[in-house]
Amino acid sequence: MNFTITRQNLHQGLAAVSASIPTKTTLPVLSNILFEAGQDGVWMSGTDLDVAVRVWAQADVKEQGSLTAPGKKLQEIARELPDQPVEIQTRGDQIELRCGRSNFKLNGLPSEEFPTLPEVDFDEGWSVKGADLHQLIQRTSFAVSTEESRPILNGVLWELRDGQMRMVATNGHRLARMGVPAGSASAPSADFIVPPAALQQVQRLFQDDEEIGVARSGNHLGFRAGGTEVYTRLIEGTYPNYEQVIPKDNDKFAIVDKHQLASAVRRMAVVASDQTHRIRMAFEDGRVHLNVLTPDLGEGHDELELHYEGEGLEIGFNANYLLEVLRYMPTDEVRLTFKAPERAATVEPVSDDEPIDYLCLVMPLRLLD
Amino acid sequence: MTQPVPRILLVDCDAFYVQVARLEDPEGAGRARLLVVGGAGGRGVVTSASYEARAYGVRSAMPTAEALRLCPEATVVPVPRAACSARSREVRDALSRLSPVVQAASIDEFYLDLTGTERLFRGESLTETAERIRRTVLDETRISVSIGGGTRRLIAKLAASRAKPAGVYVVAPGEEEAFMRELRLADIPGIGPAFAEVLARRGLVHVRDALEVQPEWFERWFGPQRGRWLASRIRGEDASRVDPHEPRRSISSERTFFEDRDDDARLERTLARQAMAVAGTLRRQGLRARTVTVKLRDHDFRTRSASRTLPEPVETDQAVFEVARRLLGELRRRRRVPVRLLGVGLSGLQSEPGPHQLALFDEAEPLESDRDRTVTRVLDTLRERFGADAVVPGRVLGDAPRGGDVSSSSDGAASPPRDERRRSARRPPPGDAR
Repeated sequence: MNFTITRQNLHQGLAAVSASIPTKTTLPVLSNILFEAGQDGVWMSGTDLDVAVRVWAQADVKEQGSLTAPGKKLQEIARELPDQPVEIQTRGDQIELRCGRSNFKLNGLPSEEFPTLPEVDFDEGWSVKGADLHQLIQRTSFAVSTEESRPILNGVLWELRDGQMRMVATNGHRLARMGVPAGSASAPSADFIVPPAALQQVQRLFQDDEEIGVARSGNHLGFRAGGTEVYTRLIEGTYPNYEQVIPKDNDKFAIVDKHQLASAVRRMAVVASDQTHRIRMAFEDGRVHLNVLTPDLGEGHDELELHYEGEGLEIGFNANYLLEVLRYMPTDEVRLTFKAPERAATVEPVSDDEPIDYLCLVMPLRLLD
Repeated sequence: MTQPVPRILLVDCDAFYVQVARLEDPEGAGRARLLVVGGAGGRGVVTSASYEARAYGVRSAMPTAEALRLCPEATVVPVPRAACSARSREVRDALSRLSPVVQAASIDEFYLDLTGTERLFRGESLTETAERIRRTVLDETRISVSIGGGTRRLIAKLAASRAKPAGVYVVAPGEEEAFMRELRLADIPGIGPAFAEVLARRGLVHVRDALEVQPEWFERWFGPQRGRWLASRIRGEDASRVDPHEPRRSISSERTFFEDRDDDARLERTLARQAMAVAGTLRRQGLRARTVTVKLRDHDFRTRSASRTLPEPVETDQAVFEVARRLLGELRRRRRVPVRLLGVGLSGLQSEPGPHQLALFDEAEPLESDRDRTVTRVLDTLRERFGADAVVPGRVLGDAPRGGDVSSSSDGAASPPRDERRRSARRPPPGDAR
């Protein structure tokens, strides 16, 4: 293998791929990036066995071939090189880089040792708008669980049905759900549970204005646009019935400016317990009182004017859950609904224009006293 | 009103375990110039060594056998744990009479905050105050201490290393950066050997080298959080306060085996015993823990650990053991070689039972139920009356520590040995430690 590539193309390619390389691995080849030089360019691939990223970069190829070489080291080298063409060639199991007067030889591993990437046929797939996909990912994936006890909740549920696509994520204490029109007519009716790490790569590597090709093959999902491909293993299992826990009979509601509410909650959170982050909210006609009382530390009180309809209600929350949900609300005004102190509260955007299909749930903390 | 200039001291006992061993046994340890305190036998580890023995290269956390190779004349004595706790309390009591705010950072280190005491001490300089405190502590407790001083905890801590042994070193306000310039990066708490090596590979060994680097580069190299942390640390910045009520951060128990162990069933038995020990301490202090950590040191001294943070805090032996057992299993699957040391730690400690976070879906089987907790409390009562081994689960039978095994624990009274303490008592730098 022998090719010449601009430093910028090399650095961009490596930067795109190396984020998918595991930081710790027992399989040495996974710390490497696979180079495959074809006719007029090079594919660079990296994977942690769950998620794989593959990027094409233009290059002047003298001799086709392939090899794997240490990803992080290459990326560090590419970052420090001057802006000149970089010549890369294999010497046995070594890879040699020349750029200006700099010259590096790094030990590689044969490409046969690199795991085979999933074969996904994009002609069999469908396409989605980058902006739509990003929107769904950004506003839901924050809510996934990081606990190992229920692996299914470690993924984001992506539902395609009746011309709609939806993403849902939850850790069992709070939940985010968003929907947009599916866009492409060829979209199937299907559910996928996607690891958030893969969605992060999708967000990082694709642009809003790109049409992203999506296809499934067996237990893998592939995303493709431009010269960039992301593959991911899907999480197997049945996602809990989230529809069932979305309250339909919440009869108390508040409309409030999300920035004002968030800053009041943040103020209270300062004095809240480091472990439970509990704050207490008492809603009444025209206002909400926020309270916090933490043994050994002290107490805080704040109040905020808002529009509230329904019987008075006192309810406790983990301040962090509330703040997170508010942060992802796309509108300045939000609508909160409640039923009772121990039932799920909902938070939704309030928009004068088209309604936004976005809903977050937060389960309260039980108030013991 | 202008902010008063902070006046922080770190009082660090000189070779504390050595001093206590000598005071406890004036005829034996008291006469040995070359003294090593720690586990004897083939597997023991040095807890502390006299300054004379350190001159031979003996260091804390080194196997005692290696210490004896370096310094064959040394006398080895066991750690006088009970006496160490008692002497530590005496030092602390003496300091409480000398300073308004005292925080015990470990068994032999105490931070004092003397901010605003200039008038009280009639214009005495911080160096003079430190000298006075040093002398008074020595008179009252017979423990020799070194004292570092400065405007921040970090500066006081680094100055104390300069003051050792039996001295005082105070960095005057405004002199922090000049003082830092002379240090090596590896001297800064939070920069461990691995990170120091990464820095050295970039040509950064002394603080003065790193001060030349623009902070943006640190962020580019090590990520924003860690980069910013480094940039502020090398300038001697440290916003942490001397807080006498800083809560305990962890409880742990470790055992170094007399012979390396490779048998999973036996390792689990030891683990069960350790889970009982740490969970027992936890309950005695009225706490619950959210994070369980298992630590292994393999026969080749490679140390590995795995931890898990639970959705709800736990307190029973059974729950701690269940989580620890899974973690041990993971560690063993990754690398199955003979084990030299096994340990269990609990962190994320909380005292209040806490308001209950309600769940959207039916919870999976909880790790411990109210019934489990009640049963455990009944067992605690029995153990209190009839001894720790009055009632034990079958799985720990046959796991009495063998002659030559060395155990250490960190719970309220005693503090972990020096090498462990760095990890449990200090806040690690943000980000990944590599």
